[in-house]
Amino acid sequence: MKQKKFSHAGGLFFRMLRLFVMLLFAGVSLPSLAVADDGAVNTQERIAPVAEVRLQGQPPVEMVAAPAQKKAQVVEPEAAPQPSRKDYPNVGISSRAIVWVLAQMHLFFGALVLAVPLFVLMIELVGVFTGDDRYDDMAHEFMKISLTGFSITAIFGGSLALALFMLYPDFMGYMMHVFGAQVLVYALMFFFESFFLYVYYYGWNAFRYGNLKWVHLTLGLLLNASGLTIMLLANSWATFMMAPSGVNEVGAVVGNVWEIMKGPLWNPINLHRFIANIGFGGAVVGAYAAFKFLSTGDPAKRAHYDWMGYTSNFIAILAFLPLPFAGYWLMAEIYAYSQQMGITAMGGILAWLFIVQAVLIGTILLAGNFYLWSGMSRTDGSERYKGLIKIIAFVLVVSFLIWVTPHTLILSAAEISLLGGSHHHILGPLGIMPAKNIAVNLMLIATFLSFQLYRRSDKVATVGWAPLGNALLIGVYVAAVANIVFLGVYFGYFTNTVYKVGSSVAQVGTTLVVIVFGLVIDSLMFRNARVLSSHWGRIPDRSQYALFALPIAFTWLMALMGYVRSSVKTHWHVYTVMKDNSPDNFIPTIGYAGNMITLVTILFLLCVLFMFWVANLSGSRQAKPEPVVGGVA
Amino acid sequence: MNVLLKTLTFSLALTLLFTFVTYLLPQVKGEAPVEKNVDLGSLTMEDFIALGDDIFHNKGTCTLCHKPAPLGRAPDIEGENMVALAEERLADDRYNGEARDGEAYIRESMVDPGRYVVAGWGKKGSNDSESPMPHVDKPPIQLSPMEIDAVIAWLQSKDGNVVTVVLPDPEVAVEVASAASDGGDAGKVPAPAATAEEALARYACVSCHALDSRNVLVGPGLVDVGARLDKDELRQSILDPNADVAEGFPPAMPPDFASKMTVKELEMIIEYLAEKKG
Amino acid sequence: MEAQKNIGILGRLLAVVIAIAIMLVVFYGLDHLIMGMQGLPLNPDLSPAG
Repeated sequence: MKQKKFSHAGGLFFRMLRLFVMLLFAGVSLPSLAVADDGAVNTQERIAPVAEVRLQGQPPVEMVAAPAQKKAQVVEPEAAPQPSRKDYPNVGISSRAIVWVLAQMHLFFGALVLAVPLFVLMIELVGVFTGDDRYDDMAHEFMKISLTGFSITAIFGGSLALALFMLYPDFMGYMMHVFGAQVLVYALMFFFESFFLYVYYYGWNAFRYGNLKWVHLTLGLLLNASGLTIMLLANSWATFMMAPSGVNEVGAVVGNVWEIMKGPLWNPINLHRFIANIGFGGAVVGAYAAFKFLSTGDPAKRAHYDWMGYTSNFIAILAFLPLPFAGYWLMAEIYAYSQQMGITAMGGILAWLFIVQAVLIGTILLAGNFYLWSGMSRTDGSERYKGLIKIIAFVLVVSFLIWVTPHTLILSAAEISLLGGSHHHILGPLGIMPAKNIAVNLMLIATFLSFQLYRRSDKVATVGWAPLGNALLIGVYVAAVANIVFLGVYFGYFTNTVYKVGSSVAQVGTTLVVIVFGLVIDSLMFRNARVLSSHWGRIPDRSQYALFALPIAFTWLMALMGYVRSSVKTHWHVYTVMKDNSPDNFIPTIGYAGNMITLVTILFLLCVLFMFWVANLSGSRQAKPEPVVGGVA
Repeated sequence: MNVLLKTLTFSLALTLLFTFVTYLLPQVKGEAPVEKNVDLGSLTMEDFIALGDDIFHNKGTCTLCHKPAPLGRAPDIEGENMVALAEERLADDRYNGEARDGEAYIRESMVDPGRYVVAGWGKKGSNDSESPMPHVDKPPIQLSPMEIDAVIAWLQSKDGNVVTVVLPDPEVAVEVASAASDGGDAGKVPAPAATAEEALARYACVSCHALDSRNVLVGPGLVDVGARLDKDELRQSILDPNADVAEGFPPAMPPDFASKMTVKELEMIIEYLAEKKG
Repeated sequence: MEAQKNIGILGRLLAVVIAIAIMLVVFYGLDHLIMGMQGLPLNPDLSPAG
């Protein structure tokens, strides 16, 4: 019975199959048969152009390539195009401004969504090793609030690409020609990124414990790997524009894509962006925590968001401290690649932007320190360090003033016209780099001291050599400050430029020694330390504004430095290879740049607000409306 | 909502504060170098030297490094007598270039700076055997040979030395220009006229003025203009034609010759017309 | 938990002075090292050599 049914079903199947094959065959063969009936029509004529008119008996006109222009391209097929001004489409608004805004927005969100998974993974790991579920929940929350950021990044990235292809067709054509299939790899990475992102985020609670947690951590690692690859690929475009490699002096490709990517500035930019992204991401999610902290009166929630804000600030400042060193490496490589480019950045018109940079970094350091000091009220053991904080604050403010004052405010219009893209002779001895180097290193050391005190504030050392350890630490700080001041003053003002520049490396080295010594001594000294109680949430409301100042200053700083990085190319699309002949090929005034940067910062602020709002939307649920009793009055 | 308002206000105020800082700084634009059309026909040595001065301070970007201590990253060329220094350096054992005189030395130091590195200014760690200076005839600076000559002329003259650079020859320059342009001359300023007749034709004088009769076309015939006007009056009537219009004629002559003609062309035309005495 | 030695105020001062001296020597060496690595040798008194 069963057998029969099967065979019956089988018979039906084969009949259906036969019918299908017949239909298929007929579908393919009928049209061709119909054409064959016509006889005269053959394939050759079907694909030939319809309207070719020629005299009877004459041979057909040969198709020739368009003359002169094509020929020139054959001689030098790969050289970079040199478009003239009329080759740049004009849409009525400055093309540069359009690309500026889109690129910066794309980079802001790109930086955010690259950084967040990175430290989320770290926090998740900490959660696994400590077994403390609070870490896991916080990591999950960080992911939640930045999830929309991935789409926003993609939206701005797509808009940027369209804008570039429309407004700078020759330039983009050249870039595509140079990088070729690499851009497709870039696109491919986005599939990986999205895949891992969604599995990582939505699988958080599904893969929460045991071996599955390790699957989840692996997913996070792969998410970060694809994100980082995306960043490295995109960085290679930017560094190729600054310091082209793998092409000859007219821009013809002579190397493979690896040689093109691996320009002299690629790795410095990679490192610098990697570190800065973490700081930036930490600062932005810190603002979220601060906002939630301020919006709630519930002590449990306040404790949670205080802790979240503290962690974010910790990430931001920790990433921020090594940033000047990465920046120093980048600048050194720029000088090594082209002294002219380096001086355009640090000694020409753009040098003035570093004053603004000083203000921003000063803001970041002061805000970070202020937050650390305010946070000491959480612990009972912080009284011991109150006196030192006054000294730190003093050092910070004095260094900050040295860093900022000398250049500004003393220039009349006549002096500006004298300036001509160079330093002014009135610049006092404080205006040149040595004084600033001293100031910035002292600020970093002071900030590290704040950080160290904060870490100590809830602990009492119990090891026998604690007094000696403290004495050694005092020695480290005092000697380091003396060394930094000596190096700056002696080499900066009494020797030649080469030694002046060299001595700043020694200054930075000194600062690094302080940080390393401080971390090592403290970690040894506070082993088995007595821990005093600390109270999360016990922090004044005003401290939270430091957590808003941080991302604002970070965002502004990032836009500013990105602008400097792009501007050192001056009037070149690709430095020394492809000239920028567009109407916007000049370096705008600082005020104009400031307006643009403020515009993108505010746009970013609004988009981030949207991102946070959407994140909170998913957690809220509208109450079902009560059925209305009675009619309308 | 109150919190949102407060934090937004705070963030906005901080952003504006940073913007304000940028307004305090000098508002300087960094213009991309503009291609200047130098009129070789009327170029004097003074113009040439001024051109060199301009290139040194702007397009050449020389002052990025060559500035007075302690800001400089290269010898302070502007403050030193380069002609005297060139002689010293040519005699120096460390000199390994091919220049024989000061002018050639200065040119060599621009297009191949590694030939002589001034003590203390070499690339870091090279013990003054390598120069950190870019070749000014290559990108990104890319000065033309004429521009390099102009800089040399300025360097020689600024300390009162004899300028040995010769002015660029218009004919040679024209040849170079046409060889380089390879057709498609659009947008290029044509070479100045070589003779008065050519100039009169170029500026279309002959379409309104008869040169060999007193016949009136649009303007008066010019066959006897040399008898009616002296050279200064001729000059004025070309450069500012509407100041004194000949009786019975409309003020139809283009007033913009002053900005179109080279000095040499104008003088040739005046010489030519002054000879026309009937 | 070992007991912390009570070294007194003078002892602490002495420890700090010695620590500063030691660290100054360390940084002196660091300056020579870092400048030397960049091809900028120093004389013993830290003035540029050569």
